[in-house]
Amino acid sequence: MTDRPELYAESATAGVVTDLGRTRGPSRGLAVNGALDQFAARAANALVGNAPTDPLIETTGFGLTLRPSHDVLMAVTGAPSEPAVDGRPHPAWTPLSVRAGETVRVGVSDAGLRAYVAVHGSFDVPRLMGSCAPDSMIGFGTSVTSGASLSLFRSHPPLVNRRFGATVFDFGIPRDIGRVPGVLDVIDGPDAVEFGSGLQRLFDSRYTVTPRINHVGLRVAGYVPRRPAPGEVLSRGVPVGAVEAPAGDELLVLMRGRGITAGYPVLAVLTSRAQDVAAQLRPGQEIRFRRTTAAAATAAYLERRRLLDRIALRARTAFAALS
Amino acid sequence: MTGTGMATKIEVSPCGDSTLRVTVVGTDTDDVWKAVHRLAGWLNRGAVQPTVSAVPTYDAVLVEFDPYHTTAEAIASHIGVWETLPEQDEPVRSGVIDVPVLFGGAAGPDLGWVADVIGEPVARVIELVCAKEHLIRCLGGPAASAMTDGPDFPVPVPRLATPRLRVPPGAISVAGRQLVIGPVAAPSGWRQIGRTPLDILRTDAEAVVPYRPGDRVRFLPVDQAGYDGLLGTPMRHRHDD
Repeated sequence: MTDRPELYAESATAGVVTDLGRTRGPSRGLAVNGALDQFAARAANALVGNAPTDPLIETTGFGLTLRPSHDVLMAVTGAPSEPAVDGRPHPAWTPLSVRAGETVRVGVSDAGLRAYVAVHGSFDVPRLMGSCAPDSMIGFGTSVTSGASLSLFRSHPPLVNRRFGATVFDFGIPRDIGRVPGVLDVIDGPDAVEFGSGLQRLFDSRYTVTPRINHVGLRVAGYVPRRPAPGEVLSRGVPVGAVEAPAGDELLVLMRGRGITAGYPVLAVLTSRAQDVAAQLRPGQEIRFRRTTAAAATAAYLERRRLLDRIALRARTAFAALS
Repeated sequence: MTGTGMATKIEVSPCGDSTLRVTVVGTDTDDVWKAVHRLAGWLNRGAVQPTVSAVPTYDAVLVEFDPYHTTAEAIASHIGVWETLPEQDEPVRSGVIDVPVLFGGAAGPDLGWVADVIGEPVARVIELVCAKEHLIRCLGGPAASAMTDGPDFPVPVPRLATPRLRVPPGAISVAGRQLVIGPVAAPSGWRQIGRTPLDILRTDAEAVVPYRPGDRVRFLPVDQAGYDGLLGTPMRHRHDD
């Protein structure tokens, strides 16, 4: 096709094209990586009728300005923001019909850290082990910087009469969907007993998010539980969300880009929902850890996945009816 | 005969809401390691559920799953059944990779320190590292590092109290009773004793590194000139053309 649709990045600072992660990576020694706020990423793709694993843009800390060469259907989710099309504000967490040449400004407010932009049909980008997720350790991935142009697989005819805007869709998304709570739910880690009474103080203490946050880990300053008898531990697989207690006065929460093995004991593990929350924390924010159970965490997780199922179903139904 | 042999048993611990740590307990480290990798292979072939993935190491398997598709209880119960299955003889890949190493100096800043800790001269440390073929036990972080049993040192080697922010690609490091070859530049708390000039990792191939668990590594000492001459040569198996 000679007239391939493209999405041009007029301005972008810390954007990447990512997906839900390199699920075949960990068994081959690579981190899973992928969107840190998995719920927001899944929702963005669902809102434009994409498959959950389709590539989308993740922008961290900074907004971006995009301009499609063709008519496209987009959705912005994640950190609370109000996308603007040619200066006119539109709601996030809903499909957004953008005409060829219009400028879409996606902001990242200080109520969160990462925003996601999905485009119907998704991006044509290189993949490794089936995933486009960037891996900074091995130098793989597609970054979105000012002046970059991303190939799209498809354009999308305008969906709605612009007099009605995109609000004609109702996906049943709760109003507080992008709110970032200051509490991280954790489940006791397999090595929790090694920390004795220090573990309880994890839940009684307040922590401050440091500026040292990236895809590999999130460092929070505050009380660090100590093991009475630290020794050399055999390297073992370590889960995403693991809370580790290295030397110093900061706890380390492992994110999706973590090395898959470690020789440190695992104090606690963030729930899947809490991992999404952690992805939106900003430096200086005060947080605390709250103990929960795997059963409660799974119930909360399933509730959100069912919401995603409903969004995907309603999006597909709406687009089928309109096309 | 059972899935793990008679001398090992399996312990399953929850590790968050979407991960299990499965530890194989036994007296023979080879039996334990073989059971770990057999179990991981079985899980990664989709035996329980296609989205379940397993990370095998020395004595444990980290099992990741999506609670939308399956539960920790279901996986634990399947693993219980796997223990009772007859052992299947899988062809164990066991190639040999020759790895030239420049020891000490800037290439191995901790070599002298390690010599002091084990109470042997530096030359003897190098001799011990090169004395045997090191079995690759697992691929670990960061970036598919080759993790092997350590050299036959008399005592385990403590990690650095504060990890280095960056060790270069090709670093050969030891800690505890383990040795690791790091394909990429990364932070590390291990003791770096040398560096290989070989190019280890490529991202234009599905298998990003040339080795797998079960392969063996033979270290060969080279001097600076030998190192310079080999710089950038792709790492490969001994019998590759």
